[in-house]
Amino acid sequence: MKTLRIPLVVVPALAVFLCLLSCPLASMKAAATKPEPSPAVIHDPMPETSQPDRPAAPHSETWSHDVAPVLYKNCATCHHPGGAGPFSLLTYADARRWAPQILTVTQSRFMPPWLPDPGYGDFADVRRLSDQDQALLKRWVTGGMAQGDLKAAPPPPHYDSTWQMGKPDLVLKVAQPFTLAPGGTDLFRNLILPYQLPETHYIRAMEIRPGAPQVVHHANVVIDRTASLRRTHPDDWQSGVPGMELFVDAGNRFDPDSHFLFWKPDTPALIEPEGMPWRLDPGNDLILNIHLKPSGKAETLDAEVGLYFTPNPPAKQPMLLALERDDQLDIPAGDSSFVIDDSLTLPVDVDVLGCYPHAHYLGHDMQGWAILPNGEKKWLVWIRNWDIDRQSVYRYKEPIFLPKGTVLHMLYTYDNSSANPHNPHTPPIRVRAGNRSEDEMGHLWLQVLPVNAPANGPDPRLLLEEAWMRRRLEKTPADQIDMYNLASAMAGQNKFAEAAQVYEQELKLDPKNARTLTALGAALEGTGQVDQAREHYASAIALASPADSAGCDARFDLARLGVRRAEYAEAEKEFRDLLAVCREDAESRSGLGAALLGAGRTDEARSEFQRALELNPADFTALYNLGAVDADSGQGEPAAKLLEAALRSWPASPDAHEKLAVAYGQLGRPNDALAQLRAAVALAPDDARIHSSLSQVLDALGQSEEAFAEQKRALQLDAQDADGWNNLGALLARGGQTDAARSAFEHALQIQPDHAQAKANLARLSASR
Amino acid sequence: MPRLKTVLRVLFAALPVVLALFAVASKSQAPADFGTDLHGHPIRELAGAGIRVVVLIFAASDCPISNRYVPEIARLTNEFSRQAVRFWWVYPNSGDTAPIVEKHNRDFSIDGESLLDSKQSLVALAHTTVTPESAVFVVAGGALHEVYHGRIDDRYLDIGKERPQAQHHDLETAISAAIAGKPVPQPGGPPVGCSIVFLQK
Repeated sequence: MKTLRIPLVVVPALAVFLCLLSCPLASMKAAATKPEPSPAVIHDPMPETSQPDRPAAPHSETWSHDVAPVLYKNCATCHHPGGAGPFSLLTYADARRWAPQILTVTQSRFMPPWLPDPGYGDFADVRRLSDQDQALLKRWVTGGMAQGDLKAAPPPPHYDSTWQMGKPDLVLKVAQPFTLAPGGTDLFRNLILPYQLPETHYIRAMEIRPGAPQVVHHANVVIDRTASLRRTHPDDWQSGVPGMELFVDAGNRFDPDSHFLFWKPDTPALIEPEGMPWRLDPGNDLILNIHLKPSGKAETLDAEVGLYFTPNPPAKQPMLLALERDDQLDIPAGDSSFVIDDSLTLPVDVDVLGCYPHAHYLGHDMQGWAILPNGEKKWLVWIRNWDIDRQSVYRYKEPIFLPKGTVLHMLYTYDNSSANPHNPHTPPIRVRAGNRSEDEMGHLWLQVLPVNAPANGPDPRLLLEEAWMRRRLEKTPADQIDMYNLASAMAGQNKFAEAAQVYEQELKLDPKNARTLTALGAALEGTGQVDQAREHYASAIALASPADSAGCDARFDLARLGVRRAEYAEAEKEFRDLLAVCREDAESRSGLGAALLGAGRTDEARSEFQRALELNPADFTALYNLGAVDADSGQGEPAAKLLEAALRSWPASPDAHEKLAVAYGQLGRPNDALAQLRAAVALAPDDARIHSSLSQVLDALGQSEEAFAEQKRALQLDAQDADGWNNLGALLARGGQTDAARSAFEHALQIQPDHAQAKANLARLSASR
Repeated sequence: MPRLKTVLRVLFAALPVVLALFAVASKSQAPADFGTDLHGHPIRELAGAGIRVVVLIFAASDCPISNRYVPEIARLTNEFSRQAVRFWWVYPNSGDTAPIVEKHNRDFSIDGESLLDSKQSLVALAHTTVTPESAVFVVAGGALHEVYHGRIDDRYLDIGKERPQAQHHDLETAISAAIAGKPVPQPGGPPVGCSIVFLQK
């Protein structure tokens, strides 16, 4: 049977640091000096009764010609009626009304919000005002704010309250609105939006409508694969869970978070790059981790998230990884320049797609860079004046290629003095790492896409995960999550014995951890210690509550073991028990199908596979097995469609390539069959059966020499294959090497004395002499 | 009339303190009226019977910082309302018409007294420049004497420099001092907010 589930690897329980940025209060003014009883008009550049249509001085800027384009491009995405900005900037009257503030906030670069220093990372969608535009606005405000010819003004951008990308395929809503109090400090809330469809979907875009955009500074969306936050707050999750940072239980499957699902007011629609959708499975929750600023009046947030589907699973698999040094965070009261640093050596080539620097209120200077193996330094980001309220994800204009061996660095400086206006403590106190807003953090998240990975090598994300976890354990050797993730990364690379050692080490710290017991069982199964594996699965089932995800995973692995051991009756029972207790999912259905197929109950198996595909149209096991059944019964056309779909789900499956070659052969497409077999060989170079199949197709295409070489290679890998010796004999006979051919047929008969074809070939050879 | 004599003695005893207070206050030139209420009626008097201190809160319905101070002003109003202190919400921008302010007050649950300073006479009287900004007047001799104008507290240090919560409540301190007849501390920093849209002179 085919793999039912990727080996039990783990997902780092990503510390989701979610606090975001916003279109902060846009144009406001701070009087520059202590106010004196002086004439009130002194610094108003725009007396209200001044003539709005005063003629522009020769060569001076006007709103119509010069200023409106700048405001529309840089400000209007937030500053429009109903937008996240506190007022609109679409008209000349708007610009006049807020001219003093426009001048102040653009000259100080408070607006538009953009933290990275120019020259340290080439980012897309840079919001930093150009020096030219900054100077233009200053000249316009101080020069009298001429209106110019309104007919020559560009049309204002259009915004409406509908979904920007059209009607979503699915809208998720909070269970109940959340009411933000009028006053008080900023609030961090985690609003839970359950995904209630019974099938898996891939998400190509998402649009967030928080309900009251003017109070939402920023939001991060976290995928809670196991609904862990909802389960730990069974009575009050509907109104959201307080907290700035959160950890979610990522389950037992290597499914690393791979996308920055970060929302800020001017970018409500998050459109993923081509080929990089993200996935939602039945039972998942989306968590809207949201940073709220009270506005002075009670605000009701009735948040909703619009999702746009794609039928295509991801063709590219990025990954998020983080440099961090929370273990060093112990900042003395009053220390204005406390420094932490971290580094990580990349085990594979990657493209860096984006970054997300993160600290809380004491962060000040944040640097990230990479040193390449040739010594070259590439800047990733430098923020010299951190502000948690204006944090954001930054995506690079072009991916930054970093070869294997590159060392990533971060260097963060914190200001815990009373001179830091953001300091939440008065007077300052000692501050350590933690999840509360008054604690600190120091993280530099990177979105990387592995590149140049060999086709037959392990998933490069596993190598990244292993390197990352080893580095983390250097810093915090007793961290259980890191141990678990390290072991899982090793298990994912089939390094089962090493994985088992680390799991056992973790179990010494937490002997009753059902998830780790399950994972250890899987690792032991991988080493061939089947009985011990069974014992660990059983222990995990006994320790976990019935419907707990760890218990369900143990049940699944136990059932899968039955399929692998061809103990189909037991496997069927285990899968049926699993489906009775746990949430129905595609993998369990296709697992049951595999057990039935193994028992020869093909029609029942088909029914289970079809159900699995209703739940997840991309379920590999169902697609593969249905395709294989069709191919084995000579139905090349449906087989090809199913197997092509299976390969979209798991392009690295040599079995699917091989079966697809069979289907193509049935459809009279030998060259396509050849391509599939070559792909299969590349993925499984030590699989004798595939070499043998490749030899036959090459022979059919008249490429005898290569066909012979492939058959020889197959027999080197499996010298006891009677069919292979017979096939080699046939190739030799057709090439006129009769003695060698006879020897090969005889060899086949030594292995399998009743091999009918070898007997017939030998007889034919004797007759032809 | 022994009782009356006692009262007079108390008043006389208090006089030196009041005089000391006036030493740091400036007598303000009162305009003919103080703007209009939300029904268009002129406001002739800011203090009224028994009022010892008048506090003006300059606000703008479209200014986000001004709006964020609504709960704080409500707290102060509640705290001082029984101490002969009268609060006024003053809207100095011409764009803040009566219907707009009425709606704004409803939206933000502002139930205090509001006036439209359409001639910006109170802006001149109080020397204010931004919203939100406050002014405190002591009532003496039938006149208003400004003893404080400036920020409400130090939550905002500048645009983009905001404390999680205020450390110094300048306005609250000023009102307390004014009520107590003590020298009134002046603001520790500039007011931060939205420029008042000044009328052309």
